[in-house]
Amino acid sequence: MHTNWIHLVWAMMAAASLTLGIVHLVVWFKQRTHHANLTFFALASSVAVFSGFELAMVGAQTPAEFALWLRWAHVPIAAIVVLIVVFVRLYFGVGRLWLAWAAVGSRLLAVLLNFTTGVNVNFQEVTGLQHSRFLGEVVSSPIGTLNAWQIVAQIANLLLVAFVVDASVTLWRLGDPVSRRRAAVVGGGILACVVLVIGFAVLILSGAVRAPTIMAPGFFIVVVAMGYELSWDLFVAQRTAAQLRYSEAELQSSGERFRAVVEAAPNAMLLVDVRGQVSLANAQAETLFGLSRDVLVGSTVERLVPERVRSSHEAYRRGFAAELRPRAMGFGRDTHALRRDGSEVPVEVFLTPMRGAEPSMILVSIIDISERRLNERRAATQRDEIAHLSRVAMLGELSGSLAHELNQPLAAILSNAQAAQRLLARDPPQIQAVTEILADIVASDRRAGAVIERLRSMLRKEDVKHALLDLNHVAEESLRLMHSDLLDRRVSVNTSFARNLPSVSGDRVQLQQVMLNLLINGCDAVAGRGREARLQVSSRVTERGSVAIAIADNGDGIAPQDIERIFEPFVTSKSHGIGLGLAICRSIIEAHGGRLWASNNASRGATMQFELPAEPAGSEHD
Amino acid sequence: MTEPSATVYVVDDEPDMLKALERLLGAAGFSVQTFPSPEQFLARHDDTAPGCIVLDLALPGLNGLELQHALQAQGSALPIVFLTGRGDIAASVRAMKLGAADFLTKPVDADELIAAVDAALERNRERRAERAEKHLVAIRLAALTAREREVFELIAQGRLNKQIAAECGTVEKTIKFHRANLMRKLGVRTVADLVRLAERAGSGKPRSD
Repeated sequence: MHTNWIHLVWAMMAAASLTLGIVHLVVWFKQRTHHANLTFFALASSVAVFSGFELAMVGAQTPAEFALWLRWAHVPIAAIVVLIVVFVRLYFGVGRLWLAWAAVGSRLLAVLLNFTTGVNVNFQEVTGLQHSRFLGEVVSSPIGTLNAWQIVAQIANLLLVAFVVDASVTLWRLGDPVSRRRAAVVGGGILACVVLVIGFAVLILSGAVRAPTIMAPGFFIVVVAMGYELSWDLFVAQRTAAQLRYSEAELQSSGERFRAVVEAAPNAMLLVDVRGQVSLANAQAETLFGLSRDVLVGSTVERLVPERVRSSHEAYRRGFAAELRPRAMGFGRDTHALRRDGSEVPVEVFLTPMRGAEPSMILVSIIDISERRLNERRAATQRDEIAHLSRVAMLGELSGSLAHELNQPLAAILSNAQAAQRLLARDPPQIQAVTEILADIVASDRRAGAVIERLRSMLRKEDVKHALLDLNHVAEESLRLMHSDLLDRRVSVNTSFARNLPSVSGDRVQLQQVMLNLLINGCDAVAGRGREARLQVSSRVTERGSVAIAIADNGDGIAPQDIERIFEPFVTSKSHGIGLGLAICRSIIEAHGGRLWASNNASRGATMQFELPAEPAGSEHD
Repeated sequence: MTEPSATVYVVDDEPDMLKALERLLGAAGFSVQTFPSPEQFLARHDDTAPGCIVLDLALPGLNGLELQHALQAQGSALPIVFLTGRGDIAASVRAMKLGAADFLTKPVDADELIAAVDAALERNRERRAERAEKHLVAIRLAALTAREREVFELIAQGRLNKQIAAECGTVEKTIKFHRANLMRKLGVRTVADLVRLAERAGSGKPRSD
């Protein structure tokens, strides 16, 4: 049995084109917006139809038959050209519109001329057929006079080539790999085949080459190139879809994980957007604010802070949104959360911006620190109580000195009063002198009153009151209280106080207690020095701008291993006292934000000094 | 009741107290000089004039007891009335042992202080009179020759002329001559007067040379 290869191959090409086209028709049915697939289907169908006509042409027995088949073959050719233009426009998304219209217009004009002039647009008349062998079969090629209008078809071909080249170059220039591949595969494929097919056809038809006009395989290659490209898109789309499904699942599970983590966190947590709206709250947040999750989610964070800081909180939030970075929130001295019942809870707040979220979200972690505050207050109360006890004990040590301080003005008052009695008893009474005496009595009385007041404030158990203080005053006052004790112990004191010392914030009584304690310590240190016993009390501003008071003695100094130990409670070198003095002094100074330390002097003896942070200039002394 | 030339020196480091004491003693009719520190008192007071000191015990620098020491070393005749802020028994005992005139506790009552100052001034007067006499005796004794001085001492010890002559290795007649001379020089007429003078001069006991 004889196999006609041409019939077989052409039929196969037509069938393959149709199959590819139908696949994309189905795609178009599913995705009606994918017009490129529909266009491809039409193009593939046109190629299949053209294959049929070409088969008829090569099998034509008469010149008239050939001319007729060629005339009708121009219809699928025009369809192919128009569809190529449409496909490129749709699929590339680029290409000059005027070139597209020109290519399409000239091709349609060629079809019109195909049916109105000559036997077709190529031939005025086909005079004969030439037979040659192709794929083992006898095929016909035309011989005849060319149609002058053929030039229109050639122009149409050139315009098509121009359009495709222009569109491909534009697409190539976009630069991304996908665009470049498209431009190369589709644009290159179309161009190569169109140029080959049309050029070959022109050569044959013009009689320059004696060969059968075989164009269908060229068109088929175009279809395969386009089909490949479109399938690639399908593949990519499918892969993207799979990835999307996976990411979605991932996203969902990570969202769930996030929720679980937030829920399990030991602190209250809120997820807030930059406008302050709460979008997530955990059970701890419900407990802390006393509000249910339904109320919390959707409300603004300003609702959760006390009324008085609401506006500043809003400003703070805006500032944070402007510069998103994790940080501890701090505005005002303390941060408080407002509970539903109107009570306030001291809190510590940490803000963590969530990267990548749109709009930006902030994870707010809120720690209830009321327990911590309570403990701090308890510790402070305890410290103040111990300070008071040791103050009373210290005043006991100083009682002789204090009695003297009080006695002195009383003695002056008595002597003055009795002098006045005598002056009044004279004849005439010396009123002028008595007036002066009375003024002095008043002054002495006030002085005694001040001593009593100082004593009372030292003995009284009072709440710690912070005020702006001049440490020079505190030191001078302490030295005055110690005056008689220093005389008694034969300790001479030199002072050098820095002028214009910045103020410090502190409790006068507690700081005086520290001063007295350090002075007594100094006196004890120099007790064995006899007439040489000396203390040097000085004040200064440190390089860091804080205010320091130093009490230097010329005693025996402190053993190096004890220089820190002396601040531990119950460590004492004295036979009297319980060794709490320096420990309490240090706790007082540290509670004031300062530090107290000891050092040995270069010459002899030791220096105890403390420094306190200076308050900004311009603050008033109380 | 007091000599107009007697001065009460008040030493106290408390200006208020110093002023009050000055006024009180002034109103009581004393002539008063005040000093804020023992050092200034030592530098400026007149030791030969009659007077007494009212001294605060607790003073910066030289304290009351140390001033007392210093004055004693100088042989000052000024009695000291101590004032103290508290009843410091140890210090008061020491002060009294060193011859303090009185030891008063602040606040001090005017009458008590004035009485103490009066007593101190009286003591000063006595001391000064004693010293004046001693001074006079010393001058007279200085006029004696060595032999006359020797004889004077022996007479004051109650020896007889014969015994003195034996001790001095001479005859009784020579001793009688010396005796008449020295009694004339010292301005005494009886042996009893001579013995009293010797007592006042602090001699009359065997010399320890």
